[in-house]
Amino acid sequence: MTDFSRRQILGAAATTAILGAAGLPFPVLAQQGRSSVTLAISRDIQGSLTPANRVGPIEGNIMRTVCQGLIRFKPGSFEWELSAAKALTQVNDTTIAFELNPGLMFHGGFGEMTADDVKFSFEQFGLVGADGKPAGYAKDWASLDHVEVTGKYTGKILLKSAAPQLWLVVLPDNSGLIISKKAFEAGAYRSDAQPIKLIGTGAYLLAEWVPNQRVVLKTNPDWKGAKPTFPEVVLQPVRDPKTAELALRANELQFTPVEPADAGEIEKEKDTKLLKQDSINYVWIGLNVEKPPFDNAKVRQALRLAIDVEQVLAGAYNGTVKPAYALMAPGLLGYWADAPKPKADPAAAKKLLAEAGHPTGFKCTLTLMNKPTYQAIGQIVQALLGEIGVQVELQVLDAGAYYAVGKGDTGKNLDMALQRFGGKADPAFQTQWFVASQIGTWNWQRWNDPAFDDASAKAASTNDKAERNRLYIEAQKRMEASGAYIWLTHEANIFAFRPWLKPAVLPNGDDMLYDRFTSV
Amino acid sequence: MSPKLRYVGSRIVTTLLVLVCATVLLFSLTLFIPGNPAEVLLGPRATPEAVAAYSHIMGLDRPLLARLAIFLGNVLTGDLGRDVISGRPVLDLVLEVFPYTLTLTLAAIGLAVVLGVPLGCYAATHPGSVLDQVGAVTSVAFIAMPNFVVAVFLVLIFSVWLHWLPVLGVGRDGGWGDAVLRLILPALSLALSWIGYIARLLRASLLEVLGEAHIRTARAYGVPERRIVYRNALKLAAIPTVAILGLGVGRLLGGAIFAEIVFARPGLGTLVYDAIAVRNYPVVQAAVLVVVGVFTVTNLLTDLSYLWLDPRLGRRLGEAR
Repeated sequence: MTDFSRRQILGAAATTAILGAAGLPFPVLAQQGRSSVTLAISRDIQGSLTPANRVGPIEGNIMRTVCQGLIRFKPGSFEWELSAAKALTQVNDTTIAFELNPGLMFHGGFGEMTADDVKFSFEQFGLVGADGKPAGYAKDWASLDHVEVTGKYTGKILLKSAAPQLWLVVLPDNSGLIISKKAFEAGAYRSDAQPIKLIGTGAYLLAEWVPNQRVVLKTNPDWKGAKPTFPEVVLQPVRDPKTAELALRANELQFTPVEPADAGEIEKEKDTKLLKQDSINYVWIGLNVEKPPFDNAKVRQALRLAIDVEQVLAGAYNGTVKPAYALMAPGLLGYWADAPKPKADPAAAKKLLAEAGHPTGFKCTLTLMNKPTYQAIGQIVQALLGEIGVQVELQVLDAGAYYAVGKGDTGKNLDMALQRFGGKADPAFQTQWFVASQIGTWNWQRWNDPAFDDASAKAASTNDKAERNRLYIEAQKRMEASGAYIWLTHEANIFAFRPWLKPAVLPNGDDMLYDRFTSV
Repeated sequence: MSPKLRYVGSRIVTTLLVLVCATVLLFSLTLFIPGNPAEVLLGPRATPEAVAAYSHIMGLDRPLLARLAIFLGNVLTGDLGRDVISGRPVLDLVLEVFPYTLTLTLAAIGLAVVLGVPLGCYAATHPGSVLDQVGAVTSVAFIAMPNFVVAVFLVLIFSVWLHWLPVLGVGRDGGWGDAVLRLILPALSLALSWIGYIARLLRASLLEVLGEAHIRTARAYGVPERRIVYRNALKLAAIPTVAILGLGVGRLLGGAIFAEIVFARPGLGTLVYDAIAVRNYPVVQAAVLVVVGVFTVTNLLTDLSYLWLDPRLGRRLGEAR
């Protein structure tokens, strides 16, 4: 019999283990079945799951999957269709009548959806919390007077004034979702009590939320509409886009947004498809019109002429986005097709600077958030402005610090800021941040133009579509004349996913319809 | 009082002082926030009345020292405040994720010790050998390479190309096996630089100890070399390594953030990362306080371990008396 030393036995065991591991892939990595689909989300749920006090689109997307509104968006568009409502009619400028489908049952035994729930849900937006804090999205229903219940399933939404944006920004969106009054009073939707309960009548239930790990949505057995394709949708928080990309390649994720600059590489991967769609968001460089030297219109014009937007986009977005020339994106009401499309002209820019009393340029700061794309924009702008003698220092901040710099009196010290706002289907949503009352809040350019405010207010309170279109173009002309806005792009939304998956994403790219993700 | 007890007592007092200073520093964090913390908390839509009411609730209208005393009192009673966004007690949030960070840290340190110590011993007992030289080069390479680069390479190799190991999270319904599989890559990405570090450090100190007089005496008495190395020399040579490991636990607790982000794992790092992004100061304060607490306690235990590892320390303490 052969004698083996301890060293020989250990070596043989290690070799066997390595060979075994090489030959036998771990069972956990077996291809996931199609009964479940795992989608990346950029962060975890961070707060309340009430429509009036939601934190952002992550929570909104989950809420729209679990709760129904009177109407809902169709996938890939801002057209709407009936959802919880059997009928929804604009009776006159200030009255909208609704009739609910009977038999819509809230999960968890909270009974049938009635007109009382509609009244409760919409009137929540006008209430001030026990802490004295108004609802986060109070503005969405600012035009609401009250909801009149006329029957178990019928009622009227009575407005203080005409509010056309309700049809595109509120009713089919998160602020139009109907929650259960009984469930709310029983403590549902609140994030300070765990496990959080999200009660709705939609196609899915919030089956599980493990903070910082996953959100699991499962089909609602009481759902009477079209059966969702996937019995289970798992939302996986992945903060780092590169990790999400690697996890997609390792087939741990089946869908993830990708950075524009990475799209080309990902497209080469086999078993991966890309969805590219032009967005309606807007990215711009804003100049603080209150602070010298930006209070001089000639300086603002000079900077605009010095920045070659196409060069900026080619460098920062890898050529995946188109330039923007005004606030409204193509396809939206109020889109200004004839907006000026200035070409970069450093010589003219230098001349304007000299006329403004800065023949050798000046020093200033460009404030931006610490995202790779924005930092690339900052560096290119820095180089372009350097050509006309303007020395730009980049102030790169994390999200928390960045969102504080334009607020209150701190905002008076801003020079230039690279900003990005999300768009919605109605132009009223886009213009609301640039009015004088938003100075010190979201109007970081501190631009105050009563004519702009007037046009925006009038456009938001008439149902005449042609008149609204005219007024919004008028408002954008005022922005153009101010020279405070150097528009860069409306962005593009790019998503990577498995070829068998058909995602359902709204044109703004932030809003997903998880209940209508299907397989090809 | 015996010298050893005095030594233990002085270390505990020092630890407590460090904890108090760290707590005061964390409290002062709120003083450096631009603007009113209540405004940050309530957001831009808050009314001046709401801001005033919240300032009162948060005690911002009280004298600084009174606020500090209240803060210290709250910390002592385990009240670390409430999460600004969800309204949940911060302690609950921290306790939910702390086990994940601790597991990752211990797994990384464990891997570093299990692989680094034998490598260091071999290198010290076979100086100049091929393995020693290869070990030296790879150790320096791993020490020099940033952890996140190592992490990305590990994911590419083991998850994307070989499909052996999962990338994301801590596991769902797969039980312990799944959880362990999901721990391997993040722990390895954190451990690699420490393996090299421990191996080099241990090699150097072991070589030094092996040249000391008492080792020569042991050899002269015919004590087997294996016994000399592993029973006599290693214990003494391990002191600097233990000191570094003590610091390592603290560094990894705070520095596991990149592994938690890259591998989408829950933990203190991701908690702080998210909290900083939205200026959620109570969560930042609490998470940092926990890291500081564990760090100082680990260092206390490291200091105390010298009494066992190095008998000369006990003698020196006695002489000093």
